[in-house]
Amino acid sequence: MEHQDTMKDVAWAKINADVLRSLEKPRRIFWIVLAVCALLVLSGVVAEIYQYREGMGVALMNRPHYWQLYISNFVFWIGMSHSGTLLSAILLLTKADWRKPIYRFAEAMTLFSILTAAIYPIIHLGRVWNLYWILPYPDARTIWPNFRSPLLWDAAAITAYATSSALFLYIGMIPDLAICRDNAKGWRKKLYTALSMGWMGRAREWMAFRKTYILMACFLVPLAVSVHSIVASDFAMSIMPDWHITSFPLYFVAGALYSGCAAIITLFVMLRHIFKFEAYMTTEILDKTAKLTFAIAMAWNYLNLSEYASIWYSNDMYEKEVLLAKFFGPYAVIVWTMLLCATVAPFAMVFKKVRHSMWSMFILSLVLQLGMWLERFQIVSPPLASNHEPWTWAVVWPGAVQLIITLASFGWFTMLFLIFCKIFPSVSMYEVKEMVFHRRKASSRARLEDLSAIKEEVARAEEGLQ
Amino acid sequence: MRRRKKHLLFGIFEDFDSARDVVSSLKVLDLKEMVVDNIELYSPIEHPEVEEILGDFHQPIQRFTLFGALSGAIGAFLLAAAAAQAMFTVQPQGGKPVIPLPPNIVIAYEGAILIGVLATIAAFFIYAGLPRRLHKHYDNKVSIDQIGIEVQVLPENMHLVRAVFDSHQATEIREVVQ
Repeated sequence: MEHQDTMKDVAWAKINADVLRSLEKPRRIFWIVLAVCALLVLSGVVAEIYQYREGMGVALMNRPHYWQLYISNFVFWIGMSHSGTLLSAILLLTKADWRKPIYRFAEAMTLFSILTAAIYPIIHLGRVWNLYWILPYPDARTIWPNFRSPLLWDAAAITAYATSSALFLYIGMIPDLAICRDNAKGWRKKLYTALSMGWMGRAREWMAFRKTYILMACFLVPLAVSVHSIVASDFAMSIMPDWHITSFPLYFVAGALYSGCAAIITLFVMLRHIFKFEAYMTTEILDKTAKLTFAIAMAWNYLNLSEYASIWYSNDMYEKEVLLAKFFGPYAVIVWTMLLCATVAPFAMVFKKVRHSMWSMFILSLVLQLGMWLERFQIVSPPLASNHEPWTWAVVWPGAVQLIITLASFGWFTMLFLIFCKIFPSVSMYEVKEMVFHRRKASSRARLEDLSAIKEEVARAEEGLQ
Repeated sequence: MRRRKKHLLFGIFEDFDSARDVVSSLKVLDLKEMVVDNIELYSPIEHPEVEEILGDFHQPIQRFTLFGALSGAIGAFLLAAAAAQAMFTVQPQGGKPVIPLPPNIVIAYEGAILIGVLATIAAFFIYAGLPRRLHKHYDNKVSIDQIGIEVQVLPENMHLVRAVFDSHQATEIREVVQ
């Protein structure tokens, strides 16, 4: 059956009205979710203060195991940040118009994921007050940061990515901020007036805007790839078995895209319901996002299996021992659950019924994210329990403090994201209008072509009769 | 010195096609009688074909991007190299090069992108003419679904432009003196 394109019939004034209404009146569930998130953040703050006062030992982080949930979470949130800006940029460059109703919140997701990820190295430091040591400044001891360390590359890459993603989000939002300015009152009017910078939709503004947006997209694609490759280098540049792997950067990028796509689906369903975006976040878009997620999941699975295979066939005794310990050792439950969630579960997306059901996709996306979160944990912790140094062989599970701070980060991310969606338009009004405009044009062009084909047929029939 | 007053005619149109026809007619008028000094088009979405009718906007944003990226790469490389030099006296290098290329290239890569992006945005603000105050005659209909055309014209020729607007069914016409 041919797909009915309903988007081409949406009036432009209705697009403005629907999106602007989302800034004023969300469903009641918005406030409930926001309150739960605020409570989670509060509990995280209490846990962090406790850890700050008592030392890292209360989080069960002690010699020799310093890298646990905080690092897993850091990798997870950096990964989560990938799909937003990266997919938005790739789909912009490939002119995929279905990105238009969903790219704004995906880009916001990127920004808030990075902000969440950036908290973890700080928490992980323990001595938070020494954070400024990472900055390249000439101090009294003439000790500068060591740029040979991948951790410093991380700092550079994340700074570049966070800044560029925030600016990409902001620049893309200027025309919409002008619409908000034209319709707002009170503090909102002041905020939107300042942020829209006097945008009036003049031709020269649009021309400069489009050029800038495309140039930024060209930068953001390699930047996003470099960020997660560098995060992978934190592990791959060491000589630890199961970390020192050539394919790690690519594997990390694929994993990041995978978890990011799953997060986009979760937020898609959430926003659609909370802000009543049923007309814009359609099953057609969900279907395409699910197909993309499935494709990326398969790429990730391929890289995962090739990593296992290369260890197995290389027959390196240290690598093989760690691999076997992963599957049959104390952390086996994590690895098998990860495989179930991230390798088996995505096959549900083969079925159209699943791809078209909001609730199935919502639950499935959570399962995929759980899988990817466990994947990060099984990268970080198990190799530490069976590496070159037998004195470090100890199985350590994360303690309550780490778990509370982990939960708090989910609350922190969701809280920031919801506040953003309440203040700024989470669906791009001007891009949806462009989509409607082009689809309407294409449809009338197709109708004209049909009409001329009918005319030709009639003319041929008349010739035949004569 | 007193600034010369600008006389503008601002018209609002239902769709882009009629706005395009208006601009084409104004251009013809411009060539024949030299009445139109400046045409500005306001629209709720981007119309890339606008350059065909209004002429090329000289916006070499990509040059800023290139310059930014190059200077970012060089600057970041030098920062990493200078940091290594600064440590040279206090940290033994153990036979390794003082300025190692692979890690410095990573830093240069990130620097290129960061400064490239910042330079691109600076160029955007310069060539889009932002930030600026809203024009007094700005109508928020052009941020919904209408197209606005602003024409700077000599007062004695105002009626000619108005006639073009009228002939293309402008929904609203306003005379503005700035």
